[in-house]
Amino acid sequence: MKKLTMIFFIGFIFLAANYIQAAGDECFNCHDAQGDNPSELFKNDIHHKKGIPCSGCHGGNSKSDDMDAAMNKDAGFIGVPKGNQISERCIICHSNPETMKEYGADIPTNQMELLSKSVHGRLSINGKERIVQCITCHNAHGIVEVTNPVSPVYPLNLPKTCAKCHSNAVYMRNYNPALAVDQLDKYRTSIHGIKNAKGDIKVAECANCHGSHGILPVKDANSSVYVVNIPQTCAKCHSNKSYMKEYNIPTNQYEEFSKSVHGIDLLEKHDLSAPACNSCHGNHGAVPPGVESISEVCGTCHALNAELFSASPHKKAFDEHHYPECETCHGNHGIAVPTNQLLGVSKGSICGKCHTPNENVDGYKVAKHMRLLIDSLSYSEDFADSLINNAEQKGMEISEAKFKLRDVNQAKLEARTIVHAFNEEKFDSIVVKKGLATSNIVISEAQNAIHEYYFRRVGLGISVLIISFLAFVLYLYIKRMERGK
Amino acid sequence: MKNFFNKVYFWFDDRVHLESLVEFMGKKYVPIHRHSMWYYFGGVSLFLFIIQVVTGILLLFYYKASTDLAFESVQFIMSKVQFGWLIRSIHAWAANLFIFSVFIHMFSVFFEKAYRKPREVTWITGALMFFLALGFGFSGYLLPWNQLSFFATKVGSDIVGAIPLIGEPVKIFMRGGNDVTGATLSRLFGFHVALFPGIFTFLLIIHLVLVQRQGMSEPLEFETKKPVAEKKKMPFFPNFMLRDLLLWLIVLNVLAILAVFFPAHLGIKADPFSSAPAGIKPEWYFLFMFQTLKYFPAHIVFMEGEVLGILLFGLAGLLWLLVPFWDIKSSKGKQNRLINYIGIFAVIFIIVLTILGWTS
Repeated sequence: MKKLTMIFFIGFIFLAANYIQAAGDECFNCHDAQGDNPSELFKNDIHHKKGIPCSGCHGGNSKSDDMDAAMNKDAGFIGVPKGNQISERCIICHSNPETMKEYGADIPTNQMELLSKSVHGRLSINGKERIVQCITCHNAHGIVEVTNPVSPVYPLNLPKTCAKCHSNAVYMRNYNPALAVDQLDKYRTSIHGIKNAKGDIKVAECANCHGSHGILPVKDANSSVYVVNIPQTCAKCHSNKSYMKEYNIPTNQYEEFSKSVHGIDLLEKHDLSAPACNSCHGNHGAVPPGVESISEVCGTCHALNAELFSASPHKKAFDEHHYPECETCHGNHGIAVPTNQLLGVSKGSICGKCHTPNENVDGYKVAKHMRLLIDSLSYSEDFADSLINNAEQKGMEISEAKFKLRDVNQAKLEARTIVHAFNEEKFDSIVVKKGLATSNIVISEAQNAIHEYYFRRVGLGISVLIISFLAFVLYLYIKRMERGK
Repeated sequence: MKNFFNKVYFWFDDRVHLESLVEFMGKKYVPIHRHSMWYYFGGVSLFLFIIQVVTGILLLFYYKASTDLAFESVQFIMSKVQFGWLIRSIHAWAANLFIFSVFIHMFSVFFEKAYRKPREVTWITGALMFFLALGFGFSGYLLPWNQLSFFATKVGSDIVGAIPLIGEPVKIFMRGGNDVTGATLSRLFGFHVALFPGIFTFLLIIHLVLVQRQGMSEPLEFETKKPVAEKKKMPFFPNFMLRDLLLWLIVLNVLAILAVFFPAHLGIKADPFSSAPAGIKPEWYFLFMFQTLKYFPAHIVFMEGEVLGILLFGLAGLLWLLVPFWDIKSSKGKQNRLINYIGIFAVIFIIVLTILGWTS
């Protein structure tokens, strides 16, 4: 009996609360009585719960139960808002901090400002309204808080909400035919997408990377997914130790990347061809590359190196030992500019980790020889460069030799590429036949120019002496001749 | 040996009667006074011109006047041709010394009033050769086709283009089109190695013949105040000529030292699409005019300041050329201090403006 009393009491309270809320909204009462869908949805709408009547959006007089008076256009009734009118009704309250405060809401009030500047704020193909209105994402009569799991913009629902348009090839080609429409499919294959599907609201979904109301095109430098901004965007979560704690992965990727050759090019030099996080991990389908696919990932840019490595004896050995290919020697996020020190078997070299005087001896000898050659080439290039500078400072015309010095540097770069074949013969042909041979020519030409400089000085000295002697003899002759007269 | 030279002399004398020429030269004297040293600058200018002709011909063996090859051919001369660097450096330095020497020679003649009757034509041919020397400098500057010369030619020809009425057609004629291009290079090369040397040689022959025919001019006070018996003089041949030769040897030494210690540079190849190098300036002998034009306001009364400046320089040049005809006083053997003041003003003006242009 007690239980029955309790249920009755709770039911009474619920109905009373609804009655009290709806008491001032005659529109809702009437439509609810007819059992139509909008009023059904509106029952759970945050606005309904906050006591905002239908007239808040549709205009008119909600307090009157007379249909003519309630839907009187003179009283501001607009019926179903159309086009931009929809968003304009929303911003009456949502752009006004005072109004929002009255309803106890502490959400931002700049959504419309952001939307109008965003890619979604552009004119739709009919040329009359924005592409996206508030209700496109938030729905119309059943709007709930973002934190409510039934909200279409709740993290677990958002990918699907965005995909309503972005996975619709027919719709998307009206605006951006080049844009892919498989983002959702890829997302579902990513770590983020898989965890999101399992109910993890912390993992990245569309809005985490792209933003929500102020989404800008990828090519816009202010976009959070503009190539230069991507590392910071990813780092928002991936560099946050406490946020990432439960995922058990490192959080120093951004720190390492920003100091790496790629990071410096991208973040400091703003070289747009340098890779950002998504270049290796993918974007919508973001996953860490597998051990055997690393050379494929790096190879998208470093194609020749990847090709040489794949054909080299190291490919098989690395696969067998499950060594991550490029990463084994170069590292991953903190890749530094490669130096000669990487090669060889001395302290700090990579080859020596596997090739020792007792183990993998052939490789040990080859690595040692290769290091000797590349060091010789570097030394020879530096020497040639210093000689050219010396000759130039002496005012000698040495531009041809200076131009040839580029070929030496080119040979060094080629050597650093061909080293990925781990083939001594090929390496020799580049370093010795091309690099050192050219370098020797440059050294010889520069030395000749310096020699020529001193030759000119000596030649001048002799010429000046001869001419001065002639002048002196002539002077004496004139004096003698004029004295004689 | 002496017999051999005698035989050669008599061989020629037998055919062209050298005797009268030797007799003429034997009677030719150069006056000796406190301003005699200025006589030598005519000879120095002639010597430097001969060097220009000889080194110019040697450069012609390798130089190629096209936008594709001009810079490279000069680079080749500087780096590959035996003593090419020396020939080009001497050509460049001798050009500067030549203009400097011509300046001195011309002003010494001006201050001595040596242009007065009967030497009006000698003065005019000399003044025209001075203008041609500037033309040599302007046309030769572009030939290496480097960045500096390209833009200097652009600026220089733009200034010519500002002359009212004739400026634009003259500019187009100089450039061989609307802009400085390969056509300009070919054209200025033609001026530099054919047209200008031809006219210059013609004027030089007249100038030298007149100097020989009329003898050295004497300063007014020397000519009028001293009795003929008290006038010191020296034979032109061999005394003056040997002294000339001595000075030429000294100039040759200076030239060799300059060419070795400060060889001509090549710079970087001209790129018509690049922006002009900052602070671009013309050669030093144009600097005083370039700097003066900078001081003119944008507009003076009804015309552009720059145009007025160019017209004033044109007028000054014309008055300079025609000085024997308006300085009647000197021609009558009277002192004309105004000429001295004009000359002093011109020298100070040129020096000060050149220094200002150089340091700005």
